Amino acid sequence: MKILIAIKQAIALDEDFEIRADGRDIEEDFFLPDLNEWDEYSLEEAMLIKERHADTPVEVVCVTIAPDSADEALRKCLAKGADRAIRVWDESMEGSDPVAIARALAAVAKKEAPDLFFAGVQSSDHAHGATGIAVAGFLGWAHSAVVARLDYTPGAKEVALKRELEGGLSQELRLPCPAVLTIQLGINKPRYASLRGMKLAAAKPIETLAPGDIGLATNDCGESGSLARVRRMYVPEKQRAQILAGDVAAQAKALAAIIREATGS
Amino acid sequence: MARDPKYDILFTPVQIGPKTLRNRFYQVPHCIGAGSDKPGFQAAHRSIKAEGGWAGINTEYCSIHPESDDTHRLSARIWDKGDVHNLRAMTDHIHQFGALAGVEMWYGGAHAPCMESRATPRGPSQYASEFETLTYCREMDLSDIAMVQQYYVDAALRSRDAGFDIVYVYGAHSYLPLQFLSPYYNKRTDGYGGSFKNRARFWIETLEKVRAAVGNDCAIATRFAVDTLYGPGSVEVEEDGMRFVELADPLVDLWDVDVGDIAEWGEDAGPSRFYLQGHQVPWTRYIKQVAKKPVLGVGRYTDPEKMTEIVTKGYADIIGAARPSIADPFLPKKVEEGRVDDIRVCIGCNVCISRWEIGGPPMICTQNATAGEEYRRGWHPERFPKKGSEDSVLIVGAGPSGSECARVLMERGYTVHLYDTAEKIGGHLNSVVTLPGLGEWGYHRDYRETQIGKLVKKNKQSQVALGQKPMTAEAALTYGAEKIVIATGSSWNTDGTNCLTHDPIPGADASQPDQLTPEQVFSGKKPIGKRVVILNADTYFMAPSLAEKLASEGHEVTIVSGVHLANYMHFTLEYPNMMRRLHELHVEELGDHFCSKIEKGRLEIYNIWGDGSRRTYRGPGVFPRDANKTHRWLEFDSLILVTGRHSDDSLHRELNARQSEWEANGVKAVYLIGDAEAPRLIADATFTGHRVAREIEEANAQFPKAYKREVAIWGNPHSPGVNPEIEYES
Repeated sequence: MKILIAIKQAIALDEDFEIRADGRDIEEDFFLPDLNEWDEYSLEEAMLIKERHADTPVEVVCVTIAPDSADEALRKCLAKGADRAIRVWDESMEGSDPVAIARALAAVAKKEAPDLFFAGVQSSDHAHGATGIAVAGFLGWAHSAVVARLDYTPGAKEVALKRELEGGLSQELRLPCPAVLTIQLGINKPRYASLRGMKLAAAKPIETLAPGDIGLATNDCGESGSLARVRRMYVPEKQRAQILAGDVAAQAKALAAIIREATGS
Repeated sequence: MARDPKYDILFTPVQIGPKTLRNRFYQVPHCIGAGSDKPGFQAAHRSIKAEGGWAGINTEYCSIHPESDDTHRLSARIWDKGDVHNLRAMTDHIHQFGALAGVEMWYGGAHAPCMESRATPRGPSQYASEFETLTYCREMDLSDIAMVQQYYVDAALRSRDAGFDIVYVYGAHSYLPLQFLSPYYNKRTDGYGGSFKNRARFWIETLEKVRAAVGNDCAIATRFAVDTLYGPGSVEVEEDGMRFVELADPLVDLWDVDVGDIAEWGEDAGPSRFYLQGHQVPWTRYIKQVAKKPVLGVGRYTDPEKMTEIVTKGYADIIGAARPSIADPFLPKKVEEGRVDDIRVCIGCNVCISRWEIGGPPMICTQNATAGEEYRRGWHPERFPKKGSEDSVLIVGAGPSGSECARVLMERGYTVHLYDTAEKIGGHLNSVVTLPGLGEWGYHRDYRETQIGKLVKKNKQSQVALGQKPMTAEAALTYGAEKIVIATGSSWNTDGTNCLTHDPIPGADASQPDQLTPEQVFSGKKPIGKRVVILNADTYFMAPSLAEKLASEGHEVTIVSGVHLANYMHFTLEYPNMMRRLHELHVEELGDHFCSKIEKGRLEIYNIWGDGSRRTYRGPGVFPRDANKTHRWLEFDSLILVTGRHSDDSLHRELNARQSEWEANGVKAVYLIGDAEAPRLIADATFTGHRVAREIEEANAQFPKAYKREVAIWGNPHSPGVNPEIEYES
């Protein structure tokens, strides 16, 4: 039984940073990279399945579509107990949007044939919230987003889960396997890696693949394989905020006036 | 980063007489336990602040003559050439970093007991010291006045020779010049008593004489308690306070002003329990209205925002600091470099002061474990030796000791995993800070939390694992660390074990619904009844703090104490207001009483002196004193056991028992630090964590390396020309 987890080396920023000369990203010097917060939870969920069912061997495999700077994030997963780590990259993948990333992840999934595919609900840097479900689209597998509880016995043909909906609602459902699930924060309490785990992880290999190795053509990758691209990144101008007082009717009236003023209508 | 321009005013120089202070950060005189007898300690502790950016740095109070001898406490002295030689080390090292060195010339009057010199102190009138019991001074006649004033002049000349830039005539804390000024001491009817002018005469003349002697070479400062807080009949700021500043202003180059006296000098060095930073401003702000010379004031200023406000609002020109300069000798530099969040903020616990009050052992600091260790252990507060090995370290327990150990090891470049069951760094301090008035003690935790947060970002192999399951010996052994540091803290005894009987108290059992340990009070899970008895055998803050907390919440609180309640708080200067607080809250204290047994709803107490004053040998198996017949029952709804603490060291014991498995698991050493080694002051717990982190490469870092001692060497005279051999008068 196998669980494949898509992970990302996400970027945080300090107060001070500069935008790259081409205006399309932040200068790398200011990056504070770390494993995407959501991925900590999907990895933990996989580890819990692995540990709760010690009689059935469960292989936990992490995959990322990124240059070698993301090895650190993969090693963090290995240190916490993932069995294998795969990284897919070559220069042609530069500029990939979530759909292009998902295409590559789906290709890895086809090769690895897992019973479950986990991704975080979103990444803490770009927060598109698109990649996981796009993978399901490429694979045509059952899928559910924003999973907040999971019940799965390795080898079972179905997975039971609860997913968050909007407005404080949630839905309980069962999906056939293989399935793609995007995992929400708070589903569990992620573990820390021990020093032993870190030392072992440092010695483990990371399987590195090029797009060709997973059957992708050049135009499947990077900007040519993407539907979206970053044209310009900028710090939004400081805006004003205003709290509208009164009851709902009064607030609506005030809001309408603001909109009329802003749109000149 | 550069400094925030809003702090620019703090970095503008100030002219004081013939000297220039490079900025507005100034270490006022404060005791450290070095004096003139530990010149290395003195030179290193003061010059580290010069390196850290302070503009002026002073000695502690510095006696001008054997007639002002404060033994059993420890002052500096500038009595002879030997003292000049030793203090020269301080001024030289301060000058290397471009700061000015000051000396606080001190004559104590009756407050100096002269226990070493056996001299008779002189004063304006004869009075018995309210501070130092059993000490009277002799009233000076006119020739005495001239003689003592000459002591100041001679000491000023020696100070100049020792390289001091700033020479004080010290008249705060009720020392001699203020004794003349204040009618509380001065009952004279001649030209030195009575009218304001007469009472001020001694001080004015002394300033004139000192100025004439060294005023061309040194800045003349005076430290003045502008309000002694006694109300009418002593010095009040808008009366004699401002009047004296106006009168003496032409004679001084720098005013160093504060409030209060010596017997209750916690009103000056206000503990954070009772006073916020800037607490003296309501009094000292008047001085700038009359002074034409620069004024500096103290008030535990730790925040550059507040310091800027003090200067821009015109309350003072210069920020005086004692305790904040101990907690962070690099405070000015950190403001200058835009690293305000790196400041190790003084928590105002006054443990530094406690050492002087105890009698002058080396000063310690709760926040800064390197304070007092600069010379003898070679510890720099901001620089750390690079790691001596690739060993990684697991620290179990993120309290004061564990977090300090982690911080220092990380600074040294070690990979460290800091592990705790709690969700937050800080250990038991997280509970202590919820006690009335102790919120600022949390700065100890905050500093470590901030620094460790930064250090973990620099080394991704390091980690802070909070909210974890209790660490087992098995998990620790197989964790993968070469070195394991156990910092699991201590707990209050649940069975009444105490320092008086060294045994449990029959019936003491914190698992009963009506008995609680302090931890159980903090957790809030056990209901506490109306009538609370606190059974105390601890000499610091826990019993009075819990009494204050519970009485404030409406409980009727009685403290039964077998030890001097809050004794250590005399030393931290918290005692007077703590007692006032308990009095306000109608807390009853049954002192000199302890407990023989506890039953549901009542405890049997006895007077600890009830066993007869006559001691007789009565054979084996018989007490040498009479049976204590003072036992009686005292009822309670809830009983709180503040009888003693014990180390939570079971993990360490288990690991030691499995020493044969260390090697196979790659474990090279296991250390025990903080309260887990022995319950102690937070300052000492922090120190042990810091020390192990500095010395972890030693063969057995559990035990401290030897430090450099500063003691008199047999055969060497203190002053030149003195025969060091034993020689009797014949």
